Amino acid sequence: METPELNDYRAHLLDALDDQPRRAAEERPGFFQILVNHEGVGTLNCAQTDPSFAFTARERSIQHLEIRSESGVLIGGCVAPEAGQKSLRIPIGKGSVTIHVQNHFDGGSLRVRYEAAPGWWAHLAATVGLSSRPAAPAVGRTPVWTMTTAFAQIVLAVGVVSLLAERIPHWMGSDDRAHQLEEELAARHSAQEQIDRVHQQLAQLVEAQATAVAVSRSEQERIAQLNALVDTVAQTQQKLNTQVVTVQEDLKTVKTDVAQEVQTGMRVAVSAVEADRELVRQDLQSIKSVNETLIKQVALLESRNRELHARLALTSLEVAKANASAPKATVLAKNDAAKDVAIPTTVADGHREADRQAFMFWVAFEDGTTEKSIEDLVQELNGIKKGPMKSGWYSVEVNLPKPEPPDRFLESVKRAKIVKSVVTSKAMPPAQ
Amino acid sequence: MVFYGRTCRMSFDEEFATMSIKLPDGKAMRDSQIFSAGLNNVVTTEREFDELVAKSLPELLDRATGQTKRFLRETNQWGDDITHEKMALRWGYELVERFVVFGRTEVPCRPFFLLDSLIAKSFSQPDPLCYHKELLTPVGRFLDGLASRAVVSRDALIALFYHFYGFSQAHVVKLLGFGQAESQRVYKNFERWRQSGWQRTMNETGLSVSEIEVLEQELRTRPDHLNHEVDRLMPILQSHYRKSEPEHYPCLSEQKWGQLFHDDYGHDYRVWHLAFCRNCFLEVADRRQAEVSSGLKPQVNLQIHPLKKGGVLALFGGDRGGRHHGNTRAQRLSRTSA
Repeated sequence: METPELNDYRAHLLDALDDQPRRAAEERPGFFQILVNHEGVGTLNCAQTDPSFAFTARERSIQHLEIRSESGVLIGGCVAPEAGQKSLRIPIGKGSVTIHVQNHFDGGSLRVRYEAAPGWWAHLAATVGLSSRPAAPAVGRTPVWTMTTAFAQIVLAVGVVSLLAERIPHWMGSDDRAHQLEEELAARHSAQEQIDRVHQQLAQLVEAQATAVAVSRSEQERIAQLNALVDTVAQTQQKLNTQVVTVQEDLKTVKTDVAQEVQTGMRVAVSAVEADRELVRQDLQSIKSVNETLIKQVALLESRNRELHARLALTSLEVAKANASAPKATVLAKNDAAKDVAIPTTVADGHREADRQAFMFWVAFEDGTTEKSIEDLVQELNGIKKGPMKSGWYSVEVNLPKPEPPDRFLESVKRAKIVKSVVTSKAMPPAQ
Repeated sequence: MVFYGRTCRMSFDEEFATMSIKLPDGKAMRDSQIFSAGLNNVVTTEREFDELVAKSLPELLDRATGQTKRFLRETNQWGDDITHEKMALRWGYELVERFVVFGRTEVPCRPFFLLDSLIAKSFSQPDPLCYHKELLTPVGRFLDGLASRAVVSRDALIALFYHFYGFSQAHVVKLLGFGQAESQRVYKNFERWRQSGWQRTMNETGLSVSEIEVLEQELRTRPDHLNHEVDRLMPILQSHYRKSEPEHYPCLSEQKWGQLFHDDYGHDYRVWHLAFCRNCFLEVADRRQAEVSSGLKPQVNLQIHPLKKGGVLALFGGDRGGRHHGNTRAQRLSRTSA
């Protein structure tokens, strides 16, 4: 890095900064350039009768204001707040510039006015007492020496003016006079140009104003539409709120009803179940009592049945004995026995049918026994032949009363004369 | 970085924190410390402000330069070279210049705080610097310095026509359709530009004598190359500095330009806009080709130094921008012209 060069540059800039106030003070009031936020916005011609400048910023507020001479020397300026106003007075040369900035967040306005310092004639006139303002009425008598002094001052002023009138043409050459004429002409033309520019800006301003009014109207209409829309939305929202409240109340009611119904249903169901259970309990008790009664009756009937079986066996034995001694007596005994037995048989008829059991046995008959004899015996036994004879054996099925043992029955069958042999094998007929 | 011939290199924070005490001798350092304390204290009168600022200019410049560097670094626009250092110094200078003028209207204040707020306000605006890498070359800095100055100086503004296109006063007056009075008004202080304005601009831009000599040498040996470079850089410059135009100065159609010249209004508009808008300038030049004495289509024709001789005699006659002045004699256009 070329450090001496940089050093020189820095030193030069410091010199320029140091010299800046002097340069600004040396600037003669003429055309001032007005820069807002580092952008040129116009000029202020101090030669005008009313040297003022106004500017309006539309998008940004006026934050930096610079007043520069035509050659670019910064001779005044200020920093303004983003919103609010700022007024100040800056001395420039022998005159001063009054600045007024009014800012809001999306724009701002600026007014700059140059005020020249009063000239030497004004001072002189003030000293002499030749004021343009009406003099106040004198109070009392004016002293003679004051009048003399005033007269002397007037004479002195007239002398000075005449001397100046004599000397000035020598001081100012013809070139300067021509130049003054040129400057006047230039000033006139510049004034004409200013007027043209003001006309142009005025036309632009009118156009901008018309546009702004149209925009404002359209915005007002839009705002009215928006207001109507907002009202509609508000009404809809109110309706919606009312509906929501109604629905919430309905929901609460429904919930309460359902809960009550459920509770009632539960109570009814529980009470019904309880009643059913009570009924079942009562039924069970009644069934139990009936069952006990039946058990007692069955036990009683069984005991009587046993007694009857014993009596029947005894009777059968007696009948057999009587048949062996006398057939008549047997018949009589049978009848008696039948009579005797008739009552209990009828009594226990229902039970006998239930107590009979099917009993099958195989019987072989003596050779030469007729079929008729065989059929008679089977009928006598109240039996049924099951199938044809196989190898001399007949299968017979009888219904025996339960209390009677089959062995006793088979013994009674074997006693018949035509019976050769009796077996009880059910699986296979006995071998021959 | 260098301060008063003493070379040192430090981080930004160190640099910013200690910039006010890096002075060559102990006395200066003590004075600087005293001034630093004063700059942090409340200043109650304008006179006190002026005196303190006059004594503390190095510290104020360093502080503003440091803030500019920080802004360039934070926006990825910083390069560690002398060109960037000069750019930071230049912007620091402009900020301090504004501070010196504006600060008087803000008393009572604390000067350092006021400077910081002024800097922050400036850098918070969109695209505050015309930073472009290609503008960091000597020719780029030369053009940038001219355009930057033309924004605030009418002398520099009217001089742009010469430095960019080589147009003398007579050409410019005819091209812009100015009458006698306008020409006189616009060029009345052109001598001031020749005598001090140009040199001041070069000094404030940071272009050294050697760099200007290099530019002149290149312009002599390879003028087409340099003019082509200027032609390439002009849109970059103009797009940035045209935002300094008033709001009501947009580009106009050919028809409206014609109407503006015919009705003879908007003289400031012509100077401002055509100096900063090449397209409109070429369009107007085409339209007014007959008025320009050369009769050639204007081209970029870089001029390093200002026109050597001011007060060019311009002949006016016939239709000058739609207004007849009826005076065909030679006019002396500027009181200060040679």
